Amino acid sequence: MSFIEVSKVSKTFRVSKRQAGVTGMIANLFVPKYEKRKAVKDVSFSINEGEMVGFIGPNGAGKSTTIKMLSGILYPDSGEIKVDGYIPYKQRKSYVSRIGVVFGQKSQLQWDLPVIDSFELLKAIYRVPDKVYRNNLERFTEMLDMNAFINQPVRQLSLGQRMRADIAAALIHSPEIVFFDEPTIGVDVVGKERIRNFIRELNRQDNVTMIFTTHDMQDIEKTCDRLIIIDEGSKVYDGSLQGIRKKYSTLRQLDVEFADDVEIQPINDVKIVNMEQNKKRFVFESREVRINELMNTLLNKYNVKDISISEPEIESIIRKIYNRD
Amino acid sequence: MKDIANLVGMYMKTTAKSWFQYRVDTVLKSLAVFLRESTEIIVIYFTLLKFKELNGWDIYEMLFLYSLIFLTYGIMIIFFTGLRDFGSTVRSGSFDRFLLRPRGELFQIIFVNSDWFAAVGHGSLGVVLFLVSAGRVGISWTPALALYYIFSIAGGVLIQGAVFLFLASLNFFLLETGSLKELLYYNMRRFAGYPISIFHRFIQFLMIYVMPFAFVNYFPAQYFLRKSDINAFPEIFMHITPAVGAVMYLFAYLFWRYSLRFYKSSGN
Repeated sequence: MSFIEVSKVSKTFRVSKRQAGVTGMIANLFVPKYEKRKAVKDVSFSINEGEMVGFIGPNGAGKSTTIKMLSGILYPDSGEIKVDGYIPYKQRKSYVSRIGVVFGQKSQLQWDLPVIDSFELLKAIYRVPDKVYRNNLERFTEMLDMNAFINQPVRQLSLGQRMRADIAAALIHSPEIVFFDEPTIGVDVVGKERIRNFIRELNRQDNVTMIFTTHDMQDIEKTCDRLIIIDEGSKVYDGSLQGIRKKYSTLRQLDVEFADDVEIQPINDVKIVNMEQNKKRFVFESREVRINELMNTLLNKYNVKDISISEPEIESIIRKIYNRD
Repeated sequence: MKDIANLVGMYMKTTAKSWFQYRVDTVLKSLAVFLRESTEIIVIYFTLLKFKELNGWDIYEMLFLYSLIFLTYGIMIIFFTGLRDFGSTVRSGSFDRFLLRPRGELFQIIFVNSDWFAAVGHGSLGVVLFLVSAGRVGISWTPALALYYIFSIAGGVLIQGAVFLFLASLNFFLLETGSLKELLYYNMRRFAGYPISIFHRFIQFLMIYVMPFAFVNYFPAQYFLRKSDINAFPEIFMHITPAVGAVMYLFAYLFWRYSLRFYKSSGN
């Protein structure tokens, strides 16, 4: 039995279907039409204690719905979820004190009040013992570098500062599982890096289980060991980051810089992309084209200055999975 | 209990601190509510100066009737602001946050948010009207009467709270119930400023059985005043406001518990 067990979970929403035009609007008023949209279909997975899992998928893929069921906000229509013996949506009140949730787009801090006041309020809501509270506060203030703004009203903070304060707020009661919903959205590069470092550090020190949803693949690459991809309500991939490269990416690319501006004659099964100046990129399937043959051809025929082989970025692989091409 | 009291105290402190960020605005807003609601009273006051009485009710009896509306609303809005604004809480997704905290949903909705401007504006108007009228309507106050008065106020608060709770529960199905609240609650409240005996039977029916404002002020006021127009209604109605409040609130609460399962949350 794993720490988090999700088995065959489905969730359907009834969405109202708008009809076009004025007559449609009036008809809608009296006889509203609904259609069923399956947000999550038969999804199963399990997660061990202390794991860091990235949860990704295009908008509307069902990842938010899955996270909401995992955190006890929504009931699944069928299937079962168990987290450390709890059924989240049935034992909500006792369960949620063991989890923390960060919504990158929705702050839980008191807008008009100093950051510290929100922490004090959360301490009372979660019944955090004084000692634990003081320890956590001191530690997170230090790790997230919040000293400069902890006494400032939230409305005066920069987005990066607010996000750091929000993360600390979600952790003040020492949760065992933390859900991050786009925790770096809108934050600048330095801020993102700081947040990722903190998350890694926290996982290492406290063995907190973490689940991310994000559109920023850098977040996943820098923090997670495991990736679950959801598309159109179904799980399409579950495994390591390296695994996804192996499984989906047989694509290779060769970047070549030529000594002068040359016209390259077409090569079978190889796509040629013009880069800046004398650089060209050769993209091909590793099954179809042997790389040494390609290199030989290029080196023999043209005046090559520099050459490098690379795997495509994880982002382009993911895009390929979404498009199913 | 101590833990609950501590948390409620924290919530109140947080709300109070937020207003003090905007001190002048706070005072002005309460004053604005007070004046807005007073205009209605002023109209009635001058009308009755001319006509002396309305279906047997003189000016002070009318003010006594009115005071119950404002007092109950003033107290009600301290507790049920979160339900009044529940539509926007659901639409913005803020309700998710309540569900993620280890406390009762309704408890949080009730104590996290209070419209103190409305509470102070309506409540102080109610107190003023009560002080002006209570000594001039022929009530000889005894401890028992005072106790029943307090229970009637509590009943009136619960009746209105139950309506807000019921409408808030509908939000899980409809997402927006603002206009229903306008129609059912705020419009009907205008009728409640007058003795319901002056209205057509249909409106009386609405005021007793649909949106029972009659139990918020007319019937409890009649318990104290015994004007002759009460004979048109069953006598028991004068005695049951606290019970009506308790029963309505219980049913609204059960409906709320049932509706919660249908919460859909909002997308990102």
